[in-house]
Amino acid sequence: MNEFVIAYFAALIIASCLAAYFKYTRAFMLVFSLTLVSIIVGIIGGTSALWTITIFAGLLALAAALSYAFREFLIQISRPGLAKELRTAPLTAAFGMFIIFTYAIAGVFAPWIAPHGQAEVIAGAFAPADANMLLGADQLGRDMFSRLIYGARNSVGLALVATIGAFALGAVSGLFAAVKGGWFDQAMGRSADIIMSVPSLIFALLMLSIFGTNLSIIVIVVAIIYSPRVFRLTRAVAGNIVVMDYIEAAKLRGEGDWYLIRKEILPNCTAPLIAEFGLEFCFVFLLIAGLSFLGLGIQPPTADWGSMVRENATLISFGDITPLIPAAAIALLTVAINFVVDWMLFRSSGLKEQ
Amino acid sequence: MGDVLKLILKRLGYGLLTLLVVSILIFFAVELLPGDTAQAILGQAATPETVAALRTQLGLDQPAPIRYLSWLSHAVVGDFGVSAVSGTPVVQVIGGRFINTLFLASYAAVIAVPLAIILGVIVALLRNSVFDRVANVLTLTSISSPEFFLGYILILFFAVNIPAFPAIASLSGSLSFPELLHRTFLPALTLVLVVTAHMMRMTRAAIINLLASPYIEMARLKGVPPWKVIVKHALPNAWAPIINVVALNLAYLITGVVLVEVVFVYPGIGQALVDAVSKRDFPVVQAASLIFAATFILLNLTADVGAILTNPRLRHPK
Amino acid sequence: MTRFAKKDILLEIRDLQIQGYTDETWIDIIKGVDLTLHRGEVLGLIGESGAGKSTIGAAAMGYARDGTRISGGSIEFDGIELTNASQAEKRALRGSRIAYVAQSAAASFNPAHKIIDQHTEAPVHYRIQKRLEAQEDAMELYERLRLPNPQEIGFRYPHQVSGGQLQRAMTAMAMACRPDLIIFDEPTTALDVTTQIEVLAAIRDIVDQFNTAAIYITHDLAVVAQMADTIKVLLKGEEVEEASTKEMLDNPQEDYTKSLWAVRSFKRPQKSRPTDGTPPIIAVKNVDAAYPGGAKVLDDVSFDIYPGMTVAVVGESGSGKSTTARCITGLLPPLKGEILFKGDPMPAKYKDRSLDQLRQAQMIYQMADTALNPKVRISEIIGRPAQFYSGLKGTALKQRVDELLDLIELEPSKYYDRYPPELSGGQKQRIGIARALAAEPEFIICDEVTSALDQLVAEGILKLLDRLQRDLGLAYMFITHDLATVRSIADEVVVMQHGKVVEQGPKEEMFTPPHHPYTDLLLSSVPEMDPEWLTTVLEERGVDNIGDAADV
Repeated sequence: MNEFVIAYFAALIIASCLAAYFKYTRAFMLVFSLTLVSIIVGIIGGTSALWTITIFAGLLALAAALSYAFREFLIQISRPGLAKELRTAPLTAAFGMFIIFTYAIAGVFAPWIAPHGQAEVIAGAFAPADANMLLGADQLGRDMFSRLIYGARNSVGLALVATIGAFALGAVSGLFAAVKGGWFDQAMGRSADIIMSVPSLIFALLMLSIFGTNLSIIVIVVAIIYSPRVFRLTRAVAGNIVVMDYIEAAKLRGEGDWYLIRKEILPNCTAPLIAEFGLEFCFVFLLIAGLSFLGLGIQPPTADWGSMVRENATLISFGDITPLIPAAAIALLTVAINFVVDWMLFRSSGLKEQ
Repeated sequence: MGDVLKLILKRLGYGLLTLLVVSILIFFAVELLPGDTAQAILGQAATPETVAALRTQLGLDQPAPIRYLSWLSHAVVGDFGVSAVSGTPVVQVIGGRFINTLFLASYAAVIAVPLAIILGVIVALLRNSVFDRVANVLTLTSISSPEFFLGYILILFFAVNIPAFPAIASLSGSLSFPELLHRTFLPALTLVLVVTAHMMRMTRAAIINLLASPYIEMARLKGVPPWKVIVKHALPNAWAPIINVVALNLAYLITGVVLVEVVFVYPGIGQALVDAVSKRDFPVVQAASLIFAATFILLNLTADVGAILTNPRLRHPK
Repeated sequence: MTRFAKKDILLEIRDLQIQGYTDETWIDIIKGVDLTLHRGEVLGLIGESGAGKSTIGAAAMGYARDGTRISGGSIEFDGIELTNASQAEKRALRGSRIAYVAQSAAASFNPAHKIIDQHTEAPVHYRIQKRLEAQEDAMELYERLRLPNPQEIGFRYPHQVSGGQLQRAMTAMAMACRPDLIIFDEPTTALDVTTQIEVLAAIRDIVDQFNTAAIYITHDLAVVAQMADTIKVLLKGEEVEEASTKEMLDNPQEDYTKSLWAVRSFKRPQKSRPTDGTPPIIAVKNVDAAYPGGAKVLDDVSFDIYPGMTVAVVGESGSGKSTTARCITGLLPPLKGEILFKGDPMPAKYKDRSLDQLRQAQMIYQMADTALNPKVRISEIIGRPAQFYSGLKGTALKQRVDELLDLIELEPSKYYDRYPPELSGGQKQRIGIARALAAEPEFIICDEVTSALDQLVAEGILKLLDRLQRDLGLAYMFITHDLATVRSIADEVVVMQHGKVVEQGPKEEMFTPPHHPYTDLLLSSVPEMDPEWLTTVLEERGVDNIGDAADV
């Protein structure tokens, strides 16, 4: 029993008593369960386990506070309509938006933020961190931190382009299939089925083995692989809209397909499509990261998170977490996007019930 | 029963057709190679004689449709030709590995499927509670993480910091079954984490969707206790979506398995595929792709047939 | 009220308040309603949509639907206070002492279980009967409710039984434990009139036989007049008045109630066909039609619509009324026969028609919600046809839109920039009318335009359509299943059944006997305000025949 353990339990117990006294039932249940869990964890893992919990809780609190502040910031700078929407965002969504914002800054301003170039060799292989290199050097002696920043530009940028490609392909064909119907709809549906019947990673590997790992090839292949998902969603959403009487009225008026899509259908399916864009980006991003990890994505010396994990993987067996940082960067962005999308989907489904 | 049989046969036929189209796709994709396949395999430095020899060996001197038919007819009986790199039959390269992959995927599935369905039903029951919110954040985090991230974290914690399991899941030597389970625990756990999260979310959504049905409200207004509402009134109608969820995620396991095999250096078909891709060993790439695609299609087919068989409207026609 | 002694009070609701969750806040939807129900009494709860009838019905079981909560007042059922009873206590009442019959039987039976298994669930659960006894009892109830094959029907799955039969099976299920109180939540609203009558008769008889108290929720005054001892009128979550059925019908006190009663009085003089040889504006000639891959839905349909006249096409669901409209507009090319416009044949497909031909035939839809794009401004919804057909732009277009808004009696400056979701049901329907008028047509198809609206609003729409017809010389094809609407607005009537025209002619002729047997069935099945109507009809037809008549 040292002072830390005493302070730890004292803080938890006082907090749960306060919560109970002021009738914050949920907070009380949470804090008191944590107290009980801590007793068990403390017995098994000792002081260090409690420290881990403390640090974890602290980080969580920090993230929550940051998200809260960031949401307030967004509310202040956006116009009234949007601000009202933002007020309903849970902290997880605000956290997601903050992360996306940070990544965007890092990606756009990479050359100014990164202290060194992405291919610049400045130290020995696996040199430890120092004042010059925040995270140390990689297997060739390049600055990990700079490569991480550049990775935001390269990995995210590539995934974004591929997602836009998949989206353009899938959404346009989905909208036309819904409006045209008949054989065109059937043919598109069947082709989508075929593409989706091959696992995406396998499909990508097959194509890349044939066409090589050129950046534009990756974009095209990934766009084709993921366009059926967008197609199916767009077709389903637009399919629910084309049966509406206002579409029939417009058709009977003699309006063309393009007018129907642009004026009557698109305004009614923006919400699900935006949410799908987020999800789609996550899939594409993870697929490209997977390919890079297998050495088939962005080629060196361009910095890329997936390949950075692979190149430095050996460090893990020495208990060094450096190779996990780019992997965590990938996970963090997908988590962030998923948080935001989750909120958007919840909102659109919530509105539907009314 | 006639209608159901017809539907199932139709679905089977459609699955077979898809598989056929996919096999055409896989075969002719290789045909798209710029220049000559044999040349591409051997590289620019090869002499014309060796190229010609390889052409005959690969049967490249015959027209493409003929070669496709012969490739397919051999593939159906498990003969995928000869590896362009090692010269050994493809079956020898990937046969045993395919079994290993199936073992790993089943290992993960046996844990993940019951776990995910039970947890999914529980979070659906406790929807909007603290527990549900926490589960939501955790599952979202899990599905957002690349498989290799989860894999390395597990290695860091359970192989390096606490050396309870091996970081490399090699299967060399004769292993007893418990030893096998121990060796492959970390890769299986990685897959379990990813797939459980997916399945849990989808099960929850399927059940919540059902709970909004008027017949569930009717059951509640009949005084049926909550657990019975779920077990007797929701679950019989939830089988179709749940079977779908399971099949979809088993199919997902197949993709995930490639990355996990690489992380844990597990001797499965996924690793063979990745090796073959970097060495441009096309017969192996084709064979592995076809096997993956066939498994994928088979699983989706099972889901569809399952959905047909559990639909009361189809089982008891008018 | 004298029939019921004070000591026999079964359910007493005092100052009930219920809130609903919309837009992140709780809004009052029931604002202090009192209700007293005696044993054996049938109380009719009537009101328009949004009056809170169904919410009160659920609250009588101590049940609040998702997104609603009981925020105040008391609900006392036979001495048990439901607002603060535990879930288990409330559950013990449901199914055994208070039962519920839902609007859509098809959706409220679990598709995975046989009807009888669902029927016996409650009695077996409450250990009132053994499984086999409950089964015997179910068959007896089926027989009392005049279901065909009472011994066998319970062993079918819900999707194997027709809607009217399912609704009766659900009533039987509610009776399974011989409850003290049954809540009927619009049990016949989704049914056709000829099916409705048998369900009404069955419900009334069984409630009578077991002396069960009931709350009968409906928006249809004529229906409630047959069923209830007492009627309570609701408006926007508040009580308007309550009185015994006879008193309420003969002598309503409140203005709102009077206006509800008065609705059915609108009538306009009948016009007859022009005699100067003008061709009909639309002539349907021997049309057969089928949906792709389906059976024939129209069989040799012919009728004419003359300029300036209203032709009502009447029939139950599935009779082919709307399909005929789709043939006229060109959405469904007929297999045989043709559509003539002012004597000239029109191309079968709408895509082959000229803009002028398209302009001439406009439609107004049943569901204003799906007929107007929620993401398009009113000004554009109405302006687009004017712009599209007449090429109007800028101020000329704006002027035209203002003119059209004036025509449908909506203040232009107020509605110009609004979006459809911000409007009420009646206003939306008016916008739909304005969109049709914007094309300057001579002929408009009105597809069940009033059936989704509350009666007062529907009345306003009918009056508007009548005025527009007089001012602009429009011809209407009026598709409806509601004979009251036909009486008030039609000049000629076409009766359809199973895709065939069974009878047609001027309205007065159609409403005076002798009729075609189907027209007769249809006419006599429409509930009337007279509380004795159901009894009289049943006597005329003979009890055994009603079921057969509807299940043809």
